[in-house]
Amino acid sequence: MSVLTDLCNNIAAHLAYNPAEPMLFSSGTFWALFLVFMPLYGLLRSRLWQMLVFVTAFSFFFYYKSSGLFVLLLAATSVFDWTLSRVMSRPGRSRRFRRMCVAASLLASLGILAYFKYANFFLWNINAMIGGNFQPLDLVLPVGISFYTFQSVSYIIDVYKGRVAPTETWLEYAFFLSFFPALVAGPIVRADYFLPQIRQNRHATRSEVFTGLWLIMLGVVKKAVIADYIAQYNDLIFDAPGAYSGFETLMGIIGYTMQIYCDFSGYSDMAIGIAMIMGFSLARNFNFPYRSQNVGEFWHRWHISLSTWLRDYIYIPLGGNRKGTARTYLNNFITMLVGGLWHGAAWKFVFWGAMHGGGLAVHKATKPVLDRLPDTWWMRALWWAMTMSFVAVLWVFFRASSFADSVEIIRAVGRDFSLAYAPAFASARMMWLVLMLVIIVAHAMPEGFWDKAAAAFVRSPWIVKLLAFVVVVQLVLELRTADVAPFIYFQF
Amino acid sequence: MTRHYLSLWLLLLAAFAAFAIASAFDMPEVAGHQFKSSEIYDGLFGQREPADGAVMSADTSVSVPDTVLAGDRVVFPVPCDTAAQTIMLFGDSMLEGLGPRLAAYAEHNGHTLYTVMWYSSTSEVWGRSDKLKSYIERIKPTYIILCLGANELIVSDIARKREKYVRKILADIDTVPYLWIGPPNWRRDTGINDLIAANTPKGTFFLSDGMHFERSKDGAHPTRSSASEWLDSVMRWMPANALHPIRMDVPERATARAARIYVHQPDEK
Repeated sequence: MSVLTDLCNNIAAHLAYNPAEPMLFSSGTFWALFLVFMPLYGLLRSRLWQMLVFVTAFSFFFYYKSSGLFVLLLAATSVFDWTLSRVMSRPGRSRRFRRMCVAASLLASLGILAYFKYANFFLWNINAMIGGNFQPLDLVLPVGISFYTFQSVSYIIDVYKGRVAPTETWLEYAFFLSFFPALVAGPIVRADYFLPQIRQNRHATRSEVFTGLWLIMLGVVKKAVIADYIAQYNDLIFDAPGAYSGFETLMGIIGYTMQIYCDFSGYSDMAIGIAMIMGFSLARNFNFPYRSQNVGEFWHRWHISLSTWLRDYIYIPLGGNRKGTARTYLNNFITMLVGGLWHGAAWKFVFWGAMHGGGLAVHKATKPVLDRLPDTWWMRALWWAMTMSFVAVLWVFFRASSFADSVEIIRAVGRDFSLAYAPAFASARMMWLVLMLVIIVAHAMPEGFWDKAAAAFVRSPWIVKLLAFVVVVQLVLELRTADVAPFIYFQF
Repeated sequence: MTRHYLSLWLLLLAAFAAFAIASAFDMPEVAGHQFKSSEIYDGLFGQREPADGAVMSADTSVSVPDTVLAGDRVVFPVPCDTAAQTIMLFGDSMLEGLGPRLAAYAEHNGHTLYTVMWYSSTSEVWGRSDKLKSYIERIKPTYIILCLGANELIVSDIARKREKYVRKILADIDTVPYLWIGPPNWRRDTGINDLIAANTPKGTFFLSDGMHFERSKDGAHPTRSSASEWLDSVMRWMPANALHPIRMDVPERATARAARIYVHQPDEK
């Protein structure tokens, strides 16, 4: 009896909101829940409305597990936006009225985001400027609020512009906004791409189901094996700026560059894989970004759903490249500033965004000259090295605790830098080096290789797939840290 | 449900069942490598952390004499030792937070601190390895502080599985005065605190369970400032309670750097 009581208590505890244990796709809790979700989804997916109710309820529960009662905020946002989208789309509405609806929606969505994310940043700056004594607010940032806010903003603008018809029911909109694979850390799903899929009632083919599993496994390896493991060393470097030799600090910076890629693209892979199993297509979010040979290319390959969102809803409305060269650069700069602020409420993020904006402007300005240079392998290697150095150095501002720490870490590379540390480093951190090598080689492999690997996995016998899955899970167990580290992008 | 959904579901179910069943038993050891458990069994059938407000404590009232048999010598509690010490701090990733604060104490009181941090380590990891002995021979500490147990909070049947390793660690420490800082429980433990308390003489184990910590994002590690307060608590406890107290006046600096920090990764042997 007590065994049964313990079991019930434990299951209840696993299902309850626990801030220390956010719902991660790579967690055992999600695995167990997905085992319950899958057969029910399989039974209901042909019945549109039952499927919508079931998946939306599951998504809201998923968000409750990650963010507790903030799920009510998500529900309220969905009701408010959907109501406004319906009201403004009624025939005969004046342009002014429709604009007011958009303004009300933006004010609500962005106001909530601003309150939770930027209120303390604002107070801190007020204090610094006028020597005030405003106490910081005791705020907890709802998980994934930046992602679903951007989805809600794009939906309402698209409805206003006539690019998307408003959903007929709240349920469809709630399904779109809360779709659990993409809810807490993207990719940012766009209404025009996603909404038509709901009523198409697509059935995932065998190839899609197992390609989805392949993507999940790939994502788990990236996130739970590689990113979490190499983070242990990187954290040492970033938690004690200037305390390590130049060589060790440089390794920490390179390590974080790979960590953030594995962490975030791993999550995206899992999200895309789960959606694919369910018969939904989410757009690609990463396309080998560290192969880029300039900053512009980097932003075409990194967090694609965010960069296209920024392009369509900030850069183009600002005038894009239609208002002259100087204005184009300025628009680029402003867009990246917004991108920086989207990532976090701190000056270091503003600086990060500004530098990327500056990088884009410099690249655009020099492109006519650069295009005349010979296209040789060593020139490409030089551009690649310059781009990677630029990106990696700016990641320091992303990861370090403060602007001052970032500067200290970058300065530390130049201090006491000696390759004499390399042999000792290699012997002490062999596993770290091996994992770094694995991800670098994997990143350098041609895209065709990964397509063939996915196809081979899909074709393989069931037992081989099972063994591959078991190996991946055991690998996670072998390399996991004391507790699962949340996804870096959860905080945005 | 279509055939391929069923196929995927069976695959996930079979794997889950395999890991759940395996976690109910001791994991196999192959070529000296002990496979890690998924702990699904403990997660489902183990006892959960009590509700907020209820403070647990390990049974420290074990009958250990005030004098400690160490090898063939008898060591008696002594008043505060004011001599400059060579301190070796070793343990798991909790040292990330404890180390810098202890280094400040060491610097302020004229001690020399060496830190040996082994990520994700457990009593078993240290007990199976010769690293501790090797570091003691190399550093020649006159005082040892260790913090271990955080990665063993939910190991089932822990006394049977881990007691030999706790004893091996204490045997490696041998006659060097030491202080074992217990893990900062973030959930109810299955007996690691009891196990350490039962194997260490009174005054050599600081029970951290029941203390309140501000946790870092992973939910397990105390934040830097909370870890500093944690170490301050240990140092306040030391003069009146430690078997071998050493001089540890409160430093002015918040943190400092150890004379040398050795770091080991989880997969190392």
